[in-house]
Order: sequence, then C-alpha cells, then structure tokens
Amino acid sequence: MSVASTWTPKGNYRDMWVYCEQNHGKFVTCSLEMLGEARRLMDKYNVDYKADEKVVAVVFGHKVDGLVQEAFEHGADVVYACDHPALENFILEPQTKLLAAAARGKDHYKSYDEPRYFLFPATNNGRDISATAMAALESGLASDCNVLYISDEPIKHPVKTRRNEVIEEIVYPRILHMKRPDFSGFEWSTILCIDDPDKDFHPQSCSVIPGSFKPLERAAGRKGVRVNVAFNLGEKDQRVKIVKRERLPIEVDLTKREVIVAIGRGIGSNPTQGIKLGVELAQALGADVGISRGVVTAKYPVDASVQQYTKEIRQIGETGQMVKPKVYIALGISGAIQHKKGMDKSKTIITVNSEPSAPIKEFSDVYIHGDLFEVVPKLKEAIQRALGGKNGGKV
Amino acid sequence: MHSMNTVVLVKGVPDFREGKVSFKEDNTLNRGATPTVLNPNDRLALAAALELKVKHGGSVRLVSMGPPNYKTILREAMEVCGDEAYLLSDRMMGGADTLATAETIAAGIRKIGLPDLVIAGFKSADGETGQTGPQTAWVLDFPIITHVVSLEVDEKARLVRARRTAGDDIEEIEAPLPCFIVTDPGFTAVFRSATNRLRLLRLGEETVARASKIDSVFKMWGVADLGVDPKKIGLKGSPTIVNKVEPIPVAAKERTAQVVDAKDAGQLDEVARRIVQLVRG
Repeated sequence: MSVASTWTPKGNYRDMWVYCEQNHGKFVTCSLEMLGEARRLMDKYNVDYKADEKVVAVVFGHKVDGLVQEAFEHGADVVYACDHPALENFILEPQTKLLAAAARGKDHYKSYDEPRYFLFPATNNGRDISATAMAALESGLASDCNVLYISDEPIKHPVKTRRNEVIEEIVYPRILHMKRPDFSGFEWSTILCIDDPDKDFHPQSCSVIPGSFKPLERAAGRKGVRVNVAFNLGEKDQRVKIVKRERLPIEVDLTKREVIVAIGRGIGSNPTQGIKLGVELAQALGADVGISRGVVTAKYPVDASVQQYTKEIRQIGETGQMVKPKVYIALGISGAIQHKKGMDKSKTIITVNSEPSAPIKEFSDVYIHGDLFEVVPKLKEAIQRALGGKNGGKV
Repeated sequence: MHSMNTVVLVKGVPDFREGKVSFKEDNTLNRGATPTVLNPNDRLALAAALELKVKHGGSVRLVSMGPPNYKTILREAMEVCGDEAYLLSDRMMGGADTLATAETIAAGIRKIGLPDLVIAGFKSADGETGQTGPQTAWVLDFPIITHVVSLEVDEKARLVRARRTAGDDIEEIEAPLPCFIVTDPGFTAVFRSATNRLRLLRLGEETVARASKIDSVFKMWGVADLGVDPKKIGLKGSPTIVNKVEPIPVAAKERTAQVVDAKDAGQLDEVARRIVQLVRG
C-alpha cells in the first residue's frame, strides 16, 4: 500500500488576516465576531502545528486609532492600519488596492509572501472586497460561511492531484475548511482553497455570515503590533467618487417587534391567499409580517396587493433579520437551521404546519397540526373572540 | 447620439419557483428534476440596459457561460432586452469557480470589444456568492459600482451617475465610462417622458421578436475562439473545490411543543386566549 504524499506549497505563508469593516467610525459587529473566531482558530492551530502564527486585523478608515486599539482588545495580535480622509466611506477599488499591497508587501512585521488565511464579513461591502481582493491576489474564496476549522485533508482531484496522468491522493496540510449553508438551509458545502501543481492559491479565504461567531470578551489594554499602510494611491485608483451620502430610512424593521407572524413555503398552493391570511392574522394582533428564505427564493407570482410581503427585506433568518418577539407565529415554515437562528430567541413560538415531522416542531411551544389555509382563518376568529372579551377588541 | 455599447452578463439557475423546483426527501435540491431558467436578479440588469437603450440608443450584447443548451437562457434574457447573444461554451470551461468564470467572461467581453458599460445582476439564485461580477470587473480593470438602485449616463461628460445602497445609507456615485455596474435587487428603471415610454414599448416588442429567431444574432465561442490562457479557466483555473456536501443536522429539540389539533375548536380557542394573554402581558 502506498502512503499518500504531503503537499508543500512553493511560497511562504503565515497568519490569519481579518478584514475588519467599519461604518461611520464603528466596527460592524461581524468584524469583532471574526476576530474572536480567528483567535480561537489560531490558538488551536498554534498548538496543533507547534507554530506561532498571528491574528492580523486590517483596519482602513479615517481617524482609526480607536479602532486599532479595539481590534487589539478583541483578539488581534497585529493591525494593518491605513488612516486617510479618502477612506472615511468605503469605496471598493482603493480599499482593494491597499489591501492587496499590504498582503503582498514586506515590512517591519511581515517577511512572508502572503497571508495563509483571510476572513471577510459577508456584508455587502465585505463580500465585494472579498471578491476583488482575491481577484487581485489570484486566490480563491468561499462566500457566506458559518463554520470554520483547520486540519490536514487528503484530496483526490482530477487537476490538483494529477501527476503524470494519474490522480493521486495527496495530503494538503493546514487547510481551512469553510462550510456554507446552501440557499435552502438544509445542505452544507465544504469549500477548500487548494494549491495547484503549477500555482499556489493563497490566501485561503472566505466571507463569514454575521452572527455566526461570538466576539471575545474585550481585554482592556491588550497590546499588539501596528503596521501603518501608506496611502499611496493616485487618481487612477480612485475613479469612483461618492458625491453624496445620506441616511436611508429603514423600510421594515422587525427586530424590535413584539409580535410577528411569519409566512413560509406552506402557502405554495395559493400564495396570494396564503399571504392575505397571514397579513389578516397579523392585523388582528397588531403584529408585523415576516417571511422565510423559501418565500424569497420561490418568487411566487402574487397579486400586487400583497407583493410587498414577499420582498427580501422581510426575510427572517441567519441571512435576514434576527428577531426576538414575545410571540412568534410561524405559518407553513418547515424550520431550516438558517431560519431558526433568526427567530429562536422568541419568547413563545407558535407553529401552524401540516407536516408533523417538520423540524420547526422541535423548537415550538405550541404546534397546531393542520393546513394553514383552514387553520389561520379559524385561529384569527378565535383570537378576535378572545380579544373581544376585554379592551373592546384592541390589543 | 453617441450610442452606448452595453454588455449584460446573464446566467442560468435552477427554477426555484413553487411547482417547478424539486426537493429530495432530505430537503436538498433535486437538480436533475428542476428546470434551468434565467437568474431572476439578471432581469434587473437587463432592465437597466433597456432603460439606457431607450434613453441613449446603442446596442446591448448578452454574454453567458455554460453548456450549449444555455442558448435558451440567452433567449429568455433577450425577451427582456438584447441585440446579440454570446454563449461561452467549452468542456474546458466546466467546473469553474468564480475566479475562473471571471477570467472566461472577461475574455469574451474583450473579444466582442470593450463596451461603455458592463451590467450584471446581484448574485445568482443557486451559487449566491455575488463574486463573479466584481471579479470580472477587476480582471477587465473597469471601475465598479455595486448595489445600484438607479442609473444615469452623461454621454457628453462620459460619466455614470448612480445611486447605490450602502448599509443603512444611500450614496450618489460618479464614475467614468467605461464602467461596471452591479444592480441591486431594488433597482428601478425610471421613464418620465411619454416619448421614452413609447420607445420602451417599441423596443420591447422588437426584442421579443428578435428573441424568437435568436439564431441570426447568436454566437457560441469556445476556448480557441477566445484565445484565453487555458490555465486560467475551468477546473484548472479554479482555486477552490467543493470537498463535501452534507445535510445540515436538524436543530436539537429545545422546546416541547404542546400539540394542538386544528379540528378541535376548543383547543384552538385555548391557544387563541394564550396568544392574546402573551401579547397583552
């Protein structure tokens, strides 16, 4: 029996870098969550591989001294900081160029070729810069991950492990395993970024779904190494200009609602009617309406009168709004983990579902077994009767 | 009129609409039994291209990468807007991740001739990475504006003016042509004048007619046609691999549900009273 050979990259790679996005001078919460996870991953890595590799934060903005210290106190050993008025608001092209220059450059801290790993927040800006930065560094990334771990991985692949027309098994050491839930929330894909016989693909990178990881408790006064990145960009690097920036009123904010009626794919046989029933139930309770990811992706052809309730801005779940009302009423929602993460802090969860094996039953306080098209009108009437007893029918 | 040249990137995805999509018993997608359709977000990119064609004239070229039967996807796209359609199709392009896809599409756009604008929709309904657009812009070295909700072109000044969402903010952006635009799901085309509304109707009818006989405006290009470096495309050009696909375990039991039979009016009344009490409490 032959023993699988072990891959050795051609370049020299170290450390886990974290792009810490800030907005109006404050870190987005995912930045601190990623620093926490990077700290946990690299502490274990340093034990497993008897290494001494660091957590490196990237902080770009204007007047960032406070943010740099905050990054140290949340787990960063090193911070690459660029402080410049042009970086006050996020613009993709200059940020990408500065980041690529820092990742490739050599300085008083960094003597290696490129980062070993790179994490980005799966926010709008974070996803964009993850993509352009990896295009600039010619490496690969997984998007929207929520589980990460590092281990050696034996791989057989028609291109990457082909040697003299034979596909061998080769062990790739220190691989970042990046798990992402798919659109339905029922399937995980593990994405790996793997060097090629002709070309190294480093850093191994991904974007991280906000809320996936816990930040560390802030260690006041924790110190680290600061590396200042020179803002050496010219006009050609700053082609996109922000002329004006203003606050957008939040269209639908479910996070502060005390009562929510949420609608899922169970409405599929008659989407317009299903949404109407949900909205009427919500109105009876003075509640607002949310939807599951399934309703967003299903793109139901619905009447214009209920169209506003099928928009992504009403989505509840890991990739939508995270809600914790007093009462959460789920109509025809099966309960994928990505939905659960957005609502399981609700005080009381009441479910209407025709499928007794639906996962949502396992985290419901009341499970009403039945077809929502029959149950919801009856439930609404019963609620109206219950309301009628006191307060003249008002909640 | 200078006449704008626009390229729109489109993609085929599984049809997630109820009645079309098929899930297996473990709730994972049954790809074999689910038809492929135009990515819904790409319709907004096409709407943006149509808006510019109404206002500025010029041509709109559609580009996609995929198997030969993706011609149907291009036809579907052309029904919204499009003068010509280009399908980049070759076994060697297969298995591409986003970086290899960006290299391929950029090569296709260069072969067509660099346009004034490239427009892509926000992430695909299947992969949902949102990476291919920005990476293609990077390979082309075009300035890029993402999450665009409305768009104007100043032909004289050779400028794009766009509004984009940025978290809880809205930004007004200016960038030079040529430029790469990624439309936000909230993109809306605006037609104020009657002339433009009439033009919209006429161009709409023309493009539907063109789509019905797409063969005369359709080209399929392989690796040899593009002259792209084979090392940068397909499996070979892809840094990432999907190593494993597994079901996500269902959540552990956290609450013990009181089971209510909906047919029992008394039980339903009791639940209703409980809900009202909770809401008031």
